[in-house]
Amino acid sequence: MSNRDTATWLRERVWHASIPLEIRLHKADSSSYDSDAYLVHFPRLSYLAFLLPELHTFFYNDLIYPDVSWADAWLEYDGVPLKWHYPLGLLHDLYSGAAPVSAHDTSEEKETPSWQLTVHFSKYPEDQLVRLDTDGKHLRDLFTNNVKEADYLRNGTGRTMMFLGKQESQDLWEGVRKHDFNLFHPIYTQLMNPKGVALRHVPVRLYLPHAADPQAEEEITPGSVRVVQELVPLNTSSRQPQTVGSALNSIMGGLFPNKRLALVAEPVLHGATLPLDASVEDLMRTSAYCDGWLHIAFALL
Amino acid sequence: MGCVAFFPHLSDAEFQSACTTLIRSYASLPNPSPGNWISVETKCLHPQTFLRITKEHSLLLSPSPQRAEQDQSGNVPSLPDEGESLGVYGHEEDPEALSPSSPATPLIHYDIILSPTYRVPTLYVHIADPLHRFPPTMSTLYTHVLDPAYINQTKGSGVLGGITTADHPVEARPVFFVHPCRTAEVMLACAGGKEKDMEAWDYLVMWIGAMGKAVGLDVPKELVVRQGR
Repeated sequence: MSNRDTATWLRERVWHASIPLEIRLHKADSSSYDSDAYLVHFPRLSYLAFLLPELHTFFYNDLIYPDVSWADAWLEYDGVPLKWHYPLGLLHDLYSGAAPVSAHDTSEEKETPSWQLTVHFSKYPEDQLVRLDTDGKHLRDLFTNNVKEADYLRNGTGRTMMFLGKQESQDLWEGVRKHDFNLFHPIYTQLMNPKGVALRHVPVRLYLPHAADPQAEEEITPGSVRVVQELVPLNTSSRQPQTVGSALNSIMGGLFPNKRLALVAEPVLHGATLPLDASVEDLMRTSAYCDGWLHIAFALL
Repeated sequence: MGCVAFFPHLSDAEFQSACTTLIRSYASLPNPSPGNWISVETKCLHPQTFLRITKEHSLLLSPSPQRAEQDQSGNVPSLPDEGESLGVYGHEEDPEALSPSSPATPLIHYDIILSPTYRVPTLYVHIADPLHRFPPTMSTLYTHVLDPAYINQTKGSGVLGGITTADHPVEARPVFFVHPCRTAEVMLACAGGKEKDMEAWDYLVMWIGAMGKAVGLDVPKELVVRQGR
């Protein structure tokens, strides 16, 4: 397979990756003793908020207050409210506790076990989760801001996103919302390959468990993460192609003292341990989330 | 520190220098709370450092009737019950009424973070209320945070580039966020051709003047006068 074919194959593989979910209604919102679970294979690249209208319909007859708006619903895993603007794959990498697959894992591909989530229709955790609106405008704004920022990082101007036509912007969002590759991919390809502009930085966000700060005035909420974002140029200062290891070593030398060997923690993307020698540009082209970012979690060794 | 090298963009060092100057000027003031400012500090969560200005939340004291006229969709938002909003400092008959010195007085935090992407300061705002009366929702934004005079500017392609709720980039919890996509443009317009002579401190003062007013943040004139001496 040529490099180009491999990249396309990987891109499609990432697009089609999904996680089986088993969603139960929280007992405080349920009028029945034991309601059925809602089962779905949901794309790693998608956002859980898109499930809410369907969950509302599914649990309608079990709800104590069935007329509640779906925008009052929120999902939780093990006491952690799941953020709307984090794609499912990132949430799973951060909170599921599933061991990431490693390149050295020689066993046959295993099926991911169902991730058991709870849906609530009351007591919205406003201090932890952004409120949604029933028109979906807020979620789209959060997504668009991320796309704009990624575009600015890649080309230094953000013009590719700014000059998208209304229909193209709409198609990009609808492609995400409906998880429709044919709608999404042509626009995404335009964003990733702007004409006449050299690629400058790779959009990378790192998600670290939020260590308790003894001087902090406020309590750390369960599942709280610290997001670290720094410029990740295509090449290192010694003009070598930037790898995952060199980028992590430069941003978080304490956690990654060695560019080639993970000693304290391993970076995780799409349920897999990232090889430290992988090129960040190749990763961006094959494995970025729909907003153009590499959202990377960590597993402690 | 010399002039800003790549106006309207700031380097980490320039941003740090401006923050340090602000903190030092504030600490040297004889009046400890100009313009309701309570504290100015840098917060560090490696590798990110940001500036936090904390004020008593004066906008909560006098919710303007204008604020009720318009929300983000142009509809009339429902003001919280009188006891909820006006009652921050109490209702005369309310035995649990709060005085301004009460520990339950809400504070408003303005976190100024140098965007690692856009290289301009970015403003994140949240209300710290021990009684959790002002959650980071659009309703709170339009009722208790946003100055009504600026509502139109926060919509669509207004100068402020939109104010919404989003996660704090360091603390990852919902706060109000002034989007920085037009900040560079606004700073160029404000500089009016004098950007070559602008130091980081002048930049920060000008930036607060341009981006902060809509959400109740101003640089008290005592600070500017003192630094200008």
